[in-house]
Order: sequence, then structure tokens, then C-alpha cells
Amino acid sequence: MNRARDPRWLLILIFLGIIGIVPLIQTALEIRDEEGVRAMEVFGQFPTAASLRAYERRLEEASWATKVTRPWIQFAHFAFLRDGGTKCAIGLDGWYFYKPSLNYMLERPVIRKTVDPLNDPFTAIADFRDQLAARGIQLVVMPVPNKESVYPDKVTPRMRNSGGVRTHRTQDLLRRLRTANVEVIDLFDHFQQLRKQPSAASEKPLYLAQDTHWSPAGVAHAAKIVSRRLMQLGWIQPGRVDYAERLAPVRRLGDVLRMLQAPLIERRVTPEAVPCVQVVRLDNGQPYAHAGDAEILVLGDSFMRIYQQDEPMSAGFISHLAKELKQPLMAVVNDGGGSTLVRQELRGTPALLRNKKVVLWEFVERDIGLGLHGWQKVALPPDSQRPSPPTASNSTGN
Amino acid sequence: MVFTTQIFVFYFLPLFLLVYYNLPRGWRNVWITLASYVFYGWWEPWFSGLMLLTTVMDFVWGGVITRPGATQAQRKAAVLACVATNLGLLGFFKYYMFAAETLNQLLAAAGATQFAVMQVVLPVGISFYTFHSLTYIIDLYRGDATPAKSFSGFSAFVALFPDLVAGPIIRYKTLAEQLRERDHTVSRFSSGVSIFIAGFAKKIILANPCGKVADASFSAADPLALDAWVGVLAYTFQIYFDFCGYSDMAVGLGRMLGFEFTRNFDSPYRSESITELWRRWHISLSNVLRDYLYIALGGNRKGEGRTYFNLAVVMILGGLWHGAKWNFVLWGAFHGSLLAFERWRGKRSAYDRLPGPLRIGLTFLLMMLSWVLFRADNLGAAMDFYQAMFGLRPAGIVSPLLDSIIHTPYHVVILAACAALVFQPLQAHDWAERPVTWGKTAMLIPLFVFSLVVMVSQDFNPFLYFQF
Repeated sequence: MNRARDPRWLLILIFLGIIGIVPLIQTALEIRDEEGVRAMEVFGQFPTAASLRAYERRLEEASWATKVTRPWIQFAHFAFLRDGGTKCAIGLDGWYFYKPSLNYMLERPVIRKTVDPLNDPFTAIADFRDQLAARGIQLVVMPVPNKESVYPDKVTPRMRNSGGVRTHRTQDLLRRLRTANVEVIDLFDHFQQLRKQPSAASEKPLYLAQDTHWSPAGVAHAAKIVSRRLMQLGWIQPGRVDYAERLAPVRRLGDVLRMLQAPLIERRVTPEAVPCVQVVRLDNGQPYAHAGDAEILVLGDSFMRIYQQDEPMSAGFISHLAKELKQPLMAVVNDGGGSTLVRQELRGTPALLRNKKVVLWEFVERDIGLGLHGWQKVALPPDSQRPSPPTASNSTGN
Repeated sequence: MVFTTQIFVFYFLPLFLLVYYNLPRGWRNVWITLASYVFYGWWEPWFSGLMLLTTVMDFVWGGVITRPGATQAQRKAAVLACVATNLGLLGFFKYYMFAAETLNQLLAAAGATQFAVMQVVLPVGISFYTFHSLTYIIDLYRGDATPAKSFSGFSAFVALFPDLVAGPIIRYKTLAEQLRERDHTVSRFSSGVSIFIAGFAKKIILANPCGKVADASFSAADPLALDAWVGVLAYTFQIYFDFCGYSDMAVGLGRMLGFEFTRNFDSPYRSESITELWRRWHISLSNVLRDYLYIALGGNRKGEGRTYFNLAVVMILGGLWHGAKWNFVLWGAFHGSLLAFERWRGKRSAYDRLPGPLRIGLTFLLMMLSWVLFRADNLGAAMDFYQAMFGLRPAGIVSPLLDSIIHTPYHVVILAACAALVFQPLQAHDWAERPVTWGKTAMLIPLFVFSLVVMVSQDFNPFLYFQF
């Protein structure tokens, strides 16, 4: 039979053509871009399970086929099948949720026979509290509730009448911390109360609809709650710096949508209007700035970064807390690193603890189970080093 | 290496085929062996060393068993030694930790001191290639097969990458002739491509999304009853399309190399009884268990009671073959009991007087119930899950949130498609077996391209049967 007229040959040739052409194009592109042929990298390393997995991952990440097709598939799933992949859960009324955060709330915790020394939040927090206490510094822990905990009614119609839910894992940790006399500010209860007030719940949501983080309203409320508690405890006295507020609205495409890495989705969804409020000094009109000799050091993750270090700047939690306390603060911020990395950064810059009375440690609720690098004990350097006071430029953030 | 990855589809397979078809026939088995060791060692290079060790050992034992002049006693001693060594290795890698932890639990219950359990890594697919080797040794002993003439042929049989890690379990006597001489024809290659594409699509398009639903449901602390049922339904589809898809890919790849493998699935979820289901599910394992274990135990030749006992023992060991957990033992016992019960009723189910669709539905339901044991992390989790399914356990306060993860339109579409496919009479394998036509080519190529596009976009691509 003439091969050209035989469907069997056609099937074979197209099949072989497809599986052969993809790597050939990849190789051609890599040669064109003078990147070196990635497929050949396998011969330049000793084969171990780890090196082979890493090699395979590199190939997949660099694949032109992936880069070309993934955004379209993501878009089709998102737009037509309401599926946001492993990162995004599509909620109600234009709200989007971070799927790993939902998983943290839903999943059965792994029961271990012994405490994992590298991943036990209670041990890490209690140890940090004790280390600070030895320096005469008080620790305040502030877990920021997951968006899903505060707004379960936006996740699914099944929770339409719920004003908030909390997973046992979080409750257990907070109970243990309180039993161990660790000062914990539980924003969840406050946020639930705020949501019960019809105007606050309906007009100014405490979290952004498209983002994992809180809204300017959530920021302002949290700052008031923390300030009130610090005053109650008597650990901090009001300062003498007056701040004013200035409206600084921005439009923001939420991080949950950006995580999908699909430009078509980003084009389709209208960025959310975010009514930020910037904090400025009353005396000179300058936006809020940290002070190296502040009495309070804030450690935290992206909840401390949002609006503060990204646009519109000086409109985040730290600025608003400074306004409430009438004094500038100092901060170490590490995106996603609220559990361990932020303390490791502090260990590298112990001068930040000089003159401090209070360390406010913020982390997002889901990090109780999903903390980057776990929950390690981090030993601070001995206090006897007596480092010189840092300047405001020591403030770190990612 | 996994068939549904870029490294396999875009690098390993084209390179392998290119070399294979440009080698003289006499070198092709050597190339199969070399490539299969790379394929297997991709998980963990030392796995290949272990496989080489057992292959050399079994080849030597095969020579001893068939040595001219060997007495029956010598042959028997050789086969026992070989079986013991193979099962010893399998037992160590697969069951040591299970046995040690069970012993520790007993010691703890007795108030005695527990001992430290060594952590042993399970080489993927060891259950499959151990069975491959055992069929060779036992068939030689029984006189059902002739010894491999060359080490390259035997090592190609053991390592043959298409069926290496997840079957079908192929006996040496089935492949012996093909290893010596096989035809490489356009028809065989094209039908191999057809079946490979069908299996590839099953795995990528159907099994993986079902796996997401099943994982979410089974990992939830206290799911609602509806979510638990949806989870086990999704797992029922996942395990079928995952394993059947992989078997199809294996059969397809085998044909591309000129081999004919046995079919491993035959519309199992259309079965009207558990007895029928086990003739249609993982057929190659059922055949091996029947021929090498059930019959060795006496089969049905030693009376009714012994038949039921044998059935139960075979299924419990079959369950244990899948994994070293009490879940699998119970799963095997569940199926063994059902098989014995149906045997007692003359191979009729308890519901054989009901209309056909109901018989299929009830068999499917029994299978779903048994998959809970298969999927749950441990026995306690399985019992919790059963309670959730039947509303015997209060749902967690956060459990309704699971809705947003599993009840998406995407998952509804996929589950509906799975249901439509498993219950309709024309199976993809049968369709792919038919001669390649223009129309079929016009369907297969877009299906393959679509599956590849989905594959390179997916960030969730587990494969279930490697753990077994």
C-alpha cells in the first residue's frame, strides 16, 4: 500500500513527529538563546534521586510547550470550569481563596508520636518568648486569621449563614500558648464581632476579595485592637508623635489570581479598588517611617508588608499601629516566613533588639501547619554583645 | 520514570525508539535492557543495582533447576532457595517496617520495651518484577518453560520497561518466544500507538482530576457524608483510569517494540458480581495468583470448605501484595469473603435475581466500599471515613468548606465523563485495538495533542500503582 494513503503510517508519523519535534524545538530555542542544551545537563552530574528530580523539574520549567500552553489551559479551567488549580479556590461574589489555606483548615493533622523539633509551633514560640524575657523584652503573638476563617460565607453557599469558623488545630495551639502564659492577641474573635455589625460587614470587608490578605479596614481594626491591648498590659506608654491619615486609594489585582500565572485571567478580571489610608507625620507631612530606637519591634510576614512596603507605602498595619501608639516602630518582614525565617533574620541583626520593650510577632494562621522552613527554635545571640543602635535603614523586608 | 511525564514522552521514548529501530535485531534486547535500567534507575539509581542483582541470581538459579542430570531433590531445593530469596528481598523491602511496627505495638501492649525500627525505602515496582522472576523460576521447575538461552534475553524480560513497574504481570513463557523472535510491523506499531494514546488520555484527562477530588476528601478531618461519598466515587474512578490507563500504555509500548502483552482490564465496573469483577480487574495478577498460589494450595480440588479457605487466603495475600498495611489485609479479606460467599452460591451473587443494571450497580457499590480500605492512610482513618459516609460521625465545623474544592463544575464534568465511560459497553482498549482508519486517526491525534497539552499544564500527576 502507498504509505501516503495508509492511515496507519499517518498515525505513526504524526505520533513520532509530535514526541520528536517538542524536544527539537526546545533544543533549537536554547541554542538560539545561548543557554546551553538543558537536556544534556544530565550527563554533567552524578545521578542521585535528588539530582534527577531537580533536572526533570528544570526541564519542565524551561519547556516551551509548558510556557505556551499552560496559560491557556489555566484560563480555560478558570473561566469555563471554575477551577483554579492547586492555588486558587473560586468563591462567591467575586471572592477568591488560597487553596493551601483551605487545605490547612480542612486536613486531618498528622499525629506524631514525638514532637518534631523542627516543626512545632508551640515549642518555637514558647522558646522565643523565654529568650526575649531573658532580655527584659515582652512577646506578643498575633496570628492573623485565614481569610477563609473570617469569611467562610464567601467560600461556599453551605456556609452562607456563618460569620466565621476556626479549625481545631488553631484553637489547640492558642489554648496551649495561653496556658503557658504567652500573650496572644486573637484577632479572630474581634473580626467576628466586627462582622456581626451590619455596616462593617457589608460596607468594609476586613479582607480583600481577590487577595489572601486583609483590607485597609482589616488593617486599621487590627492596629486598634493591638494598640488597646498593649496599653491595657501597660507594656507600652503612648508616645508623642502625632500622625494623620491621608487617603491613598490603589487598584490591586489580588495575589491569588496572580499565582495562577495566566495573563489571560489577569486581563479578564478587573483589579480590586482598595481604599488605602496612608499614615503621615502631622508635623512634616512625611509618610510614616521606622525608627531604629523604637520600643516595639514587629516581626511578620506579608500581612505586615501589604500597603506598607508596597503601594501606596506607609499604609499598612505597622503605620497604623504607630499612629495608634503615637510612636514609630521597627520591623522585620519576610514574605511567607513568619514562622521561622523572620526570627532567623532577627538573629542575623540582633542590634534590632536594642532598647526594645515589646516584640510583636505576627504570622498568618495557615502557617501553623504550612510555615516555610517549619517552626524551628532560633537561638538569639547572647545579650552581652551590646550592639550599637541600628538605624531605620536596618529594617528588612522582601 | 513515569510514562506521563515530559522526560519520558519527549526525551526517553523518542530517543529509545530511534536507537531501537536502527539497531540490528540481535542487539535490540540489549538496548531494551540498558534503557530499562535507566528508566527504572530514574527514581533512585541504586534500585537498578538491586534489580540487576536479583536478575543475575534468578538467571543462575534457572540454570541450576534445568541443569542436565539434576535430581528432583536438587531441582526442588534450587526452586525453594530461589523463591525464598526473591520473597525474602520483597519481604525485607516491603514488609519489614510493617512487621517491626506491628511487633512494637504488641510489645507496647504487653508493657515490654520497644525497639527502634529501621527505615527501609521501598523500591518502586519491586512487587511486579519479583513476580515476573518467580513465574520464570516456577515455570522452569514445573517444566512449563524452557530456560532463557541468553542473559540479555532474560534481563530484557525482567527489566522490560513498559511493564516493569506496574504490570501487566507477564510470565516468562508468554514472552520467551517473543524475546527470541518478534515481528515489527506497521499494523502492530500503529495499534500500539492507538492503545498508548488511549491509556495516556485516561490517565491525564480523567484519573488525575479524580485524584484531586479523592485526595481532598480523604485528607479532610471530618467530611460531610456527601463529600465522603463523592471522594470515594472519585477514587473508584481514579484507581481504574490510572491503573487501566497505565496498563494500556504498557500494552501500547510493548506493541511498538513488537511484543504482545496480555490485556489487564476488561470493563471491570460493568461486572454483575464480585466473581466476575475479579475476572476483569487486574487480570494478569488474578491469573498469577490463581496459577501459582490458589492451585498450589489445592484450588477447588480438596473439598468445598478448603476451596473457600483457599479463596480467602489468596485474596488476603493478594491484598498484602498491594501494600504492607492492615488496610490491605482487610481489603483482601473483604474480597476473599465475597468470593467465597459467591462460590458457595454457585458463583452467583447475593443479588443475582435483580435486573442487570442493579446487579452492576450493587457490585460497583461493593467495590466502592472496599476502595475506602485501599485509599485510607491507615485502618483508623478508614473507619472514620466509613462513619463519615454513613453519617455516624459528626462533620467538622469547617468541613462544609470542602465544597469549594471538590464540587467544582470541572470535577462534576470529569466525574460524569468517567461514569459514562466505565458503564458503556465499548471500552477504549477495544476501540484502539480495531484497525487504524482515517476516522480513528483523526480522533486519536487531537486526543493525544490535547492530553499532552493538559499534561504539561498539570501540577498534579501522581501514579497510584507504583506504591504497590
